[in-house]
Amino acid sequence: MLLQILINGILKGGLYALMAIGMSLIWGVMDIINIAHGSFIMLGAFTTYWLFTIFGIDPFVSLVFSMAILFVLGYGVQRYVINYVIRASAFITLILAFGIEIFINNLALVSWSADVRKVKVAYGAANFSLGNWVTIPTIRLVAFLLVIVISLIFFYILNRTNLGRSIRATSQDLDAARLVGVDVARTYAITFGLGVGAAGAAGTLWSILFPISPMMGGILTLKSFVVVIIGGLGSMLGPIIGGLALGVTEAFGTNWFGSTYANLISFTILVLVLIIRPKGILGGAD
Amino acid sequence: MEKKTLRNFLICGLILLIVSLFPLVSNNFIIRFGTDILMFAIIASAWNIIGGYTGYASFGNVVFFGIGAYITAVLMEKAGMHFGIAYLAAGGGAALFAVLIGLPVLRLRGHYFAIATLGVAEAMKALVQNLEITEGNSGIYLPMLDLSIQGQYYFFFYMMLGTLVMTLLVTYLILNAKLGYSLIAIREDEDAANSVGINTTLSKTIAFALSGLFTGLAGSIYAYQQAFLKPGPAFTVHTTVKMIVMAVFGGMGKLFGPLIGAFGIEIISETLSNYFLVAHTLFFGTVVILAIVFTPKGLIDLITQRKFGISYFVENIREHRI
Repeated sequence: MLLQILINGILKGGLYALMAIGMSLIWGVMDIINIAHGSFIMLGAFTTYWLFTIFGIDPFVSLVFSMAILFVLGYGVQRYVINYVIRASAFITLILAFGIEIFINNLALVSWSADVRKVKVAYGAANFSLGNWVTIPTIRLVAFLLVIVISLIFFYILNRTNLGRSIRATSQDLDAARLVGVDVARTYAITFGLGVGAAGAAGTLWSILFPISPMMGGILTLKSFVVVIIGGLGSMLGPIIGGLALGVTEAFGTNWFGSTYANLISFTILVLVLIIRPKGILGGAD
Repeated sequence: MEKKTLRNFLICGLILLIVSLFPLVSNNFIIRFGTDILMFAIIASAWNIIGGYTGYASFGNVVFFGIGAYITAVLMEKAGMHFGIAYLAAGGGAALFAVLIGLPVLRLRGHYFAIATLGVAEAMKALVQNLEITEGNSGIYLPMLDLSIQGQYYFFFYMMLGTLVMTLLVTYLILNAKLGYSLIAIREDEDAANSVGINTTLSKTIAFALSGLFTGLAGSIYAYQQAFLKPGPAFTVHTTVKMIVMAVFGGMGKLFGPLIGAFGIEIISETLSNYFLVAHTLFFGTVVILAIVFTPKGLIDLITQRKFGISYFVENIREHRI
């Protein structure tokens, strides 16, 4: 029983980690708190839903499409909107992101109505047992493995490519990066695109596992915050540790206290971690 | 200088007089709309104390609003108290909560403070949803105000107006006292403020408590006006968003900025919802985006600089783009 809860928590935690990777990247590199992050996850989920409903494209295939579409969208938003205020105080970009969130959510609401929808794949209920006491839903395990693959790709891009070097250089010192020839505006746009693309991937996986609606984004943004804060900024490992920690804590918490306490537990953890270790579990000393 | 202050006081008094007479010449729909504007002006001005002057951008100020509303509901419904007592208790309770939560949370800076306050508000919402005394998610009723319909409209309008005047007056007095200079010093450079001997912890906590106090008072009036409360709407993050957007739209760190912002935003969103039944929130998002990109210093900057025309907007973008 306890092992089952632990596994459920880890599997869900993987999804939380993927949600937070994009937010952590954008926050860490550009000091933008992307309040609209959950809305981008929602757009990823709906991309998958429509591709599945209209063209019958399998969600695991449409993962590529939703990442690509969201990347382009994110690139455009940064290049043609956020870049114009990026040098104002961090607080201004935060409110701008709020405006973007309101815009996206309501556009989705007007276009698709507030209905709750599901991507009903034929293999949705498949599962297998380990020994005799643990059941693992296949689809969640596959989703979890995909999270690891996507994280590794991100890790590779950031640490082993020229693009990654530009992103890290810009994040350390904007003016110095520009002096050595980095196209800062473009690098920012690509970074935002990558972060939003990861949100799109998270949305796709979310749509396979849970019901979706245009207003689903708010709580996902908040959960991404919790994960980023628990893990701390500045490393790819942070969101993964944070995601797993949140997933497991939530799984045990709802088991012991009931599901209505899930949010209370998440946000209490958030506040406590901030007060005790503001830079996250992995973060250095203050 | 003396003459200018006197003139400003006279202008404010005149505007206040016009606003006070306003309900007598308008219908109930407009009075109710005015009451809403006043409420947002209170909470945006209260946010301005901690977010605008002290530089601590709280993203959880709705928690004080919700606490004020729920204290009022519980005291009136469960303990049968008079609204006057519940109103004061709501303000006091919200201020006390601000002190308790502020002591640990105000040690955080920048984004971390913002996220922590957001977390506090969400945690409090989840707690109220689970508590028995607040009747959880099913919501709690308040006793109705024992006045004629017309009297009720007047009552809530003047309660909000009085609270707003109190909020602005206290903010004005602070700004001209040592505390105000301490707060602005903290905003500009907290370490420097500390090293010249300002008790930053005390100043920040007082600012946060005052912000909580006035937001709680507005929440109290709101609860009595609604006569029914649910945790979701009472603690919604959208209220926080609105107060911040209003403060920024009007001009944060300016006494009348949030008031102008509340007025502007409410008029814009009301007009939009008259013309576009479904899509008005969509336009609202657009207004926020445009306002932030073109006038990041707020409407009050536009008004006081007297620089209209394209060059003002171009200048703003030049300054902040990369």
